Amino acid sequence: MSARVRRRGAVNIVVLSLSVAMALTGLAFLALIGWTLVSRGLAAINLDLFTLETPPPGSRGGLANAIVGSAMMTGLAMLIATPIGVLAGTYLAEYGRDSRFGGVARFINDILLSAPSILVGLFVYGFTVLPTQHYSAWAGSIALALIALPVIVRSTQDMIGLVPVPLREAAAALGAPEWRVMVSIVWRSAGSGMLTGVLLAAARISGETAPLLFTALNNQFWSTDLNAPMANLPVVIYRFALSPYDDWQRLAWGGAFLITFAILVLNVLARLVSARSQSKV
Amino acid sequence: MAVLCPMTDETLAAAAEEPRAAPGMTGTLRLYRRQDAVFRAITFLSAALVVVVLAGMIVFLAHGAIPALTAMGPSFFWTSDWDTVEDVYGALAPIAGTLITATIAMAIGIPVSFGIAMFLTEICPSVLRRPIGTAIELLAGIPSVVFGIWGLFYLTPVLQEYIQPALIDYLGPLPVIGMLFQGPPFGIGILDGGIVLAVMVLPYITSITRDVFMTVPPLLRESAYGMGCTTTEVVWKIVIPYCRVGLIGGVMLGLGRALGETMAVTFVVGNTYQISASLLAPGTTISAAIANEFNEAFEEQHLSALIALGLVLFLITFTVLALAKWMLLALDKREGR
Amino acid sequence: MAGETLTARPTVSTRPADDEAATVKVSVRDLHFYYDTFEALKNVNLDLEDRRVTAFVGPSGCGKSTLLRVFNRIYDLYPRQRAEGSVTIGGRNILDRDQDLNALRAMVGMVFQKPTPFPMTIYENIAFGIRLYHSLPKAELDDRVEHALKRAALWGEVRDKLGQSGLSLSGGQQQRLCIARTIATEPAVVLLDEPASALDPISTAKVEELISELRSDYCIAIVTHNMQQAARSSDYTAFMYLGELVEFGATEKIFTNPSDKRTADYITGRFG
Repeated sequence: MSARVRRRGAVNIVVLSLSVAMALTGLAFLALIGWTLVSRGLAAINLDLFTLETPPPGSRGGLANAIVGSAMMTGLAMLIATPIGVLAGTYLAEYGRDSRFGGVARFINDILLSAPSILVGLFVYGFTVLPTQHYSAWAGSIALALIALPVIVRSTQDMIGLVPVPLREAAAALGAPEWRVMVSIVWRSAGSGMLTGVLLAAARISGETAPLLFTALNNQFWSTDLNAPMANLPVVIYRFALSPYDDWQRLAWGGAFLITFAILVLNVLARLVSARSQSKV
Repeated sequence: MAVLCPMTDETLAAAAEEPRAAPGMTGTLRLYRRQDAVFRAITFLSAALVVVVLAGMIVFLAHGAIPALTAMGPSFFWTSDWDTVEDVYGALAPIAGTLITATIAMAIGIPVSFGIAMFLTEICPSVLRRPIGTAIELLAGIPSVVFGIWGLFYLTPVLQEYIQPALIDYLGPLPVIGMLFQGPPFGIGILDGGIVLAVMVLPYITSITRDVFMTVPPLLRESAYGMGCTTTEVVWKIVIPYCRVGLIGGVMLGLGRALGETMAVTFVVGNTYQISASLLAPGTTISAAIANEFNEAFEEQHLSALIALGLVLFLITFTVLALAKWMLLALDKREGR
Repeated sequence: MAGETLTARPTVSTRPADDEAATVKVSVRDLHFYYDTFEALKNVNLDLEDRRVTAFVGPSGCGKSTLLRVFNRIYDLYPRQRAEGSVTIGGRNILDRDQDLNALRAMVGMVFQKPTPFPMTIYENIAFGIRLYHSLPKAELDDRVEHALKRAALWGEVRDKLGQSGLSLSGGQQQRLCIARTIATEPAVVLLDEPASALDPISTAKVEELISELRSDYCIAIVTHNMQQAARSSDYTAFMYLGELVEFGATEKIFTNPSDKRTADYITGRFG
């Protein structure tokens, strides 16, 4: 009996040590990446980074055009994806709750949620770049929008699901039409949760590289023309990091830092919004 | 304030029976009916768009893949010559590369994530739980291109200088396993790609695993402890069996990510169309091949072959994700959610 | 005349004394209700009179809330729930397929078990329902909001904070806000589904007081678990059991001299 207890205790200690070791290793790796990013990134941050265009190798330059391009395309993508995503999420959570189509659409949306983004890029290439025969910021925005869409649909669906049933019934019981119940009561109650979803979607797409490769491509120069290729941080990082030039690699680290920082800010904002909404309820 | 007394039977009847209704009310009611129909229609169309996106993706990939698949026949899937000059395309190398890198990622990622999740739910002092958990969730948001350049500039040299030579020296001579560790230490290669993927999916799988561990009712856990179970026994015999389905679902979601990931792998996988038993050799994956060649593919067959690769990737990930989704759904049902 | 029009099944008791000017507002005939295949209401027949409070009592799951939810067809929000028979309000069977539900619900107000303030200001909570069917000038809207709040005995407590969120009120205040919101739209019938069950005793007393004041203007149906509450604040009482209306009549009669043994057992607390 006591040998058994001792053996169990020993096994426990071994497993626990392994678990702690795993945790420490994993966390160490993640910390290492974080540290690398911060140290290499901060070293590359200067005023030029924000004011100058992406340079040819060996000359002075920055990421201004890529920063603006990324911001424009991400913004445009969110403008496209947010209304559609919210409406689709509303349908799936309310009208399509028990229908067969609703079930299929929910399933498909969850698949799209983790579908490889490079395939989204290929698909958008197929119906934008292929017919028009040129890369464009529009194509890039659409690709990003298609990646943001399922995120927004899912979070809207989940948040609407959390709105108490009696609240809807109370609004309907006043004689309010369905759409008023949705817009004035349900969306308003689920508002901050839905905003959290939108912020997370924005965070998700601002670092996406693969879908932009065949849609927005890249642009060495300053351009805000939505019908032309547009510079963007992820693709610039990709190109510059793989180049043999030191100054390009430095810019790549600067860009990586900026993007991660932006994503971090969006994530923290999302957390704040959802924390506030939870404390309110 | 005469308006404030309740409706009389007459107005009630009038409003209920529309033709004789008070003029204001009928108009409003008709307007509301029309608005409801419009609102319902636009929400439906938006939801339909989600379905259309997936359908469009399938149609585009299948249609685009036809020229290459008809030219190559089934040999597309099991030959590994990828020659743009001769217009011969065999997809075995990228397909194998995709599967092997994802396997390595899972082999490293799963135990480590489980370890971290167990650490967070059972061992870690409660003050540290939230900060560490949050940090891991935030790390899950780091874009994959960052993991890629980290792998290229930091992991690769370390692998090349220290780890791979050691693997070759110590594991290389062993029978069977030794085959996996042959050849010169390039640094970049399948192993490198797999490790970067593992690090990338780590925070993702960890957060899901931790959430799934949390679904175990505290009472169940406490009763097990109350019977004198050690932490290990609680986790192995109570927690993991209880949320087995959810864990598999979470792992499959991570696998789906690893299979479809582009940027984290492209930097370090080597981008070579070759199949080697050795994990140290450079190779390629489906998404890396597409990312590298698509913009330079001008020949119809070449383009089509790349789209066919995309189709294969789609089918693999779709299967994995569908299974994952199905398992998580089963978990939800059991929990009565 | 409520009692006389009833069919045989429930035991009919005599009417209360002060019956002049009482008219039938809601008339239920051969009503059956189904959740999927489960029959939750079995052949219910009764009349609700205007300017009277009718209380529905009975053990949990007896169908009293279900019956209330038929009167404004709120059950229609859900699939697989259906009603058969007829419920006549204002001379029209509201169970008809072509009944406009918004019109019906504008006329049959409902207050729920838990307070359901909307996530908006106190003022907007009241104005929301009014605005649905009336476009009024600001001053008139203000008047109606004020009147509704006064009617719900809430005005004194909230007059200085109309711009604050409805969620900032206490539970009892929230429930009175919901009552104010309901009567602000001038319904003909007011349904109260255990309106005080989530409240503390003091708030409960206030809500009860409010109900008896509203009695003079509305046809009120109230579901309650609380026998004292039913006895105190209603004119008629309906006892339901397992989806059937067992006994319906003047409250005094039901509580002092019930005709059915099941009613007697329930009232005296022998089951339920």
